[in-house]
Amino acid sequence: MSTESIVEIKNLVKYYGQKQVLHGINLDIQPGQIIGYIGPNGAGKSTTVKILCGLIDDFDGDVKVLGKNLRTEQTNIKKQLGYIPENAALYESLTPLEFMQFVGRMRAIEEDVIRSKAEALMDIFEMKSNLNQRIATFSKGMRQKVMICSALLHNPELIFMDEPLSGLDANSVIMVKEMLIHLAREGKTVFYSSHLMDVVEKISDRIILIDQGRVIADGSFDDLSRLANDENLEKLFTRLTGNTNHGERAEAFINAFEK
Amino acid sequence: MIKILLSLFRPFRWFIERMGADYDQFIRILELKLTLDDRRTRGINKTNTNSSEISNTILKQSFSQIIMGVMFAVVVMLVKSQFTFFFMMHIVLMIMMAMLIISEFTTILFDTSENTIIQPLPIAGNTQSLARNAHVFLYLALIAFNISVVSIVMAIVKFGIISGLLFLVSILFNVLFTLFMANILYLGIMHLATGEQLKTVVMYFQIVIAVLFMAGYQFGLNMIDRSKILDMTISLHWYSYLMPPVFFSGFIEAISTGTFDLKHILFIIESLIIPVLAIYLTTKYLTPVFNRKLLNLEQSDKATKVTKSSGKITGYYRIIEKIFTRRHEEKAAFRLAWQMSGYERLFKQAFFPSLAYVLVMIGVNFFKHDQTIESLQHSQRYFIIMYAFVLISFTLTTAILLGNNRQTEWIFKVLPAVSPADYFKGFIKAVFLRFFTPFYLLVGIGIAAFWGVSVIPDILIAWLSIYMLTLIMFYIQHPQFPFSNAKSASQGGTSFVKVMGLMLVSGIIGYGHYFISSKLGIYGMILLIVLYSLGILLVNRIWVYKLITWEKIDSYNSY
Repeated sequence: MSTESIVEIKNLVKYYGQKQVLHGINLDIQPGQIIGYIGPNGAGKSTTVKILCGLIDDFDGDVKVLGKNLRTEQTNIKKQLGYIPENAALYESLTPLEFMQFVGRMRAIEEDVIRSKAEALMDIFEMKSNLNQRIATFSKGMRQKVMICSALLHNPELIFMDEPLSGLDANSVIMVKEMLIHLAREGKTVFYSSHLMDVVEKISDRIILIDQGRVIADGSFDDLSRLANDENLEKLFTRLTGNTNHGERAEAFINAFEK
Repeated sequence: MIKILLSLFRPFRWFIERMGADYDQFIRILELKLTLDDRRTRGINKTNTNSSEISNTILKQSFSQIIMGVMFAVVVMLVKSQFTFFFMMHIVLMIMMAMLIISEFTTILFDTSENTIIQPLPIAGNTQSLARNAHVFLYLALIAFNISVVSIVMAIVKFGIISGLLFLVSILFNVLFTLFMANILYLGIMHLATGEQLKTVVMYFQIVIAVLFMAGYQFGLNMIDRSKILDMTISLHWYSYLMPPVFFSGFIEAISTGTFDLKHILFIIESLIIPVLAIYLTTKYLTPVFNRKLLNLEQSDKATKVTKSSGKITGYYRIIEKIFTRRHEEKAAFRLAWQMSGYERLFKQAFFPSLAYVLVMIGVNFFKHDQTIESLQHSQRYFIIMYAFVLISFTLTTAILLGNNRQTEWIFKVLPAVSPADYFKGFIKAVFLRFFTPFYLLVGIGIAAFWGVSVIPDILIAWLSIYMLTLIMFYIQHPQFPFSNAKSASQGGTSFVKVMGLMLVSGIIGYGHYFISSKLGIYGMILLIVLYSLGILLVNRIWVYKLITWEKIDSYNSY
């Protein structure tokens, strides 16, 4: 396996109008790893992922994905990316098969390959029987599964996941976790953005914690806990992002009702 | 049907690829859009997957457009000169296309909702925007064809088969040309403005263009001397060579009559080269900019989050709310619609051009060339002005549904409301009173100042009847919750047809009002006021509760 970086971010800055959301992110990511990308709400996690996937074009800084410049070779990069967005936006009136056929054809995958892969992937999630039903009738978890399947259809080198487990039942969560580990073992890189600390803690080779658009911690869980002496990621997270008075706040919440 | 439509693009594969698009991806995106349109029109809850095609809606629309085409054909039927015949048809078509693009298809050209799905895919260059344009083109071409099919037959009879066929070809060129002119215009604006401003600029631009077209149309109609229409010939000036209807007509004339002088050769060259060149230039050089700006547009939706709410709860609002709403469900819905309608871009975009239309109607009635102030004061033209407001109220009933707040229906379903009708009463009353009434009052004051205070009862009657009509229109349409629906391309023609029908209805109501108040005088007026008030009560207190039930709502919404 090459040790060349698969993602290389130098001084990434992003504004929404006047508001600065990313204050110079620097990252080097090696292939074959699962990267846990965590941070509080509004820290800039989704924005980073969207920039890396080519959803947001206007940013400052240098970004290289798969050794190619994101600005100039976006289309080539996209061929090897899989993206699972946070809020599963799907074409509701299509069926999963039709949706995957669309995505597959756009990626110039052959017709019979699409069909067999779609069936195989959906079968893993025990959704093969739903292949020809309208997505509009699906639950959130089912939609999320369709999303995951369609993002993996072309066997991407680099997979971006934005809160991929939201809405999934316990069995599916375990399944996805296992799947991620397998993918990483095959040399795929997974960039995993999430709030679920325990999942991140268990599967990530490397954890990157950002807050207010800056990287504030970076390393394997062992590295981080050695530095900080926290027994789990949740504690570390709350300490670094500066919210320690949860008890008081919860109490205030109750008080608000009693007024 | 979709397959047939798609196969129409096959001969142009080389062209599409020259434009920097990937042909296969282009076809797939187009297929997707058409499939979605098809299913959207067939309702959400029908889960059958065997696609039995766009069918009904399109057929119904086509039929009414063909009927409209008959009207145009009758107007040009007796025109002797071939050139004038085609010239007039092309002008009509161009105006209609431009208006349709602006009023119905802009939201589709600017649609960013599919970006999360399509953007991460490796799409070559201009594919997406080309597909977007092709999508709009298909609908426009269908409408153009429907409108002119009768005239094409007539052209074949009058001027021979070659002329008829060339006319058909030139119609397609016309649509292409108009569509890409619109593209160029929008790109021009996009160059001038960025992000947050852009949305506002586009909106006002739409309004201005809509006014210009309607004004031009109305004034144009007034200026044509109907007695000379049959023998009319178009005199050519140097600038005539720049007008598409001129060179398209010249092109037909040249080939069908075999006239190949310098003038006609110029027309042929223009007709063949200009549309192609227009497409080439826009897709090659301008659409990349368009796409980039479009992404900004989407992002700036985010940036606006910080803008403060100006909390428009004024004294006017409080009074209105007290008078017009009863139950707390209705009040809540009323306030929601009142506030949201102030923020929603899609709503404003759809609604404001109709205001402009009324202004034009007023203008047209005041500036007729053979009229003096005195004769106007003695006329009863204010009836036309008052009843032109029906168009505004109709736009309100459809514009209120548009917005980017998808899947918000659950909020209403989860609340403990006895009847959903109260919500719908609140919605329509809010926009009617916020956007219709103040403007109507203003114009009403103007009317009273010009025609005298004696017309005030008429102003009141017209308001009552339009209020009632608005309520009925809103209550009988599919009960969907406001600010949560996307505009679909296939509906473009429907509302156009509806507007035509509505004009007829408002004409009848307006004429009835005019007739009764001029025959029965003050008693007639009292009668009308009482009748309409009772009608409104009946609609609002009884009928609406029968009409809008949860069962009906559930069949049009999913949660």
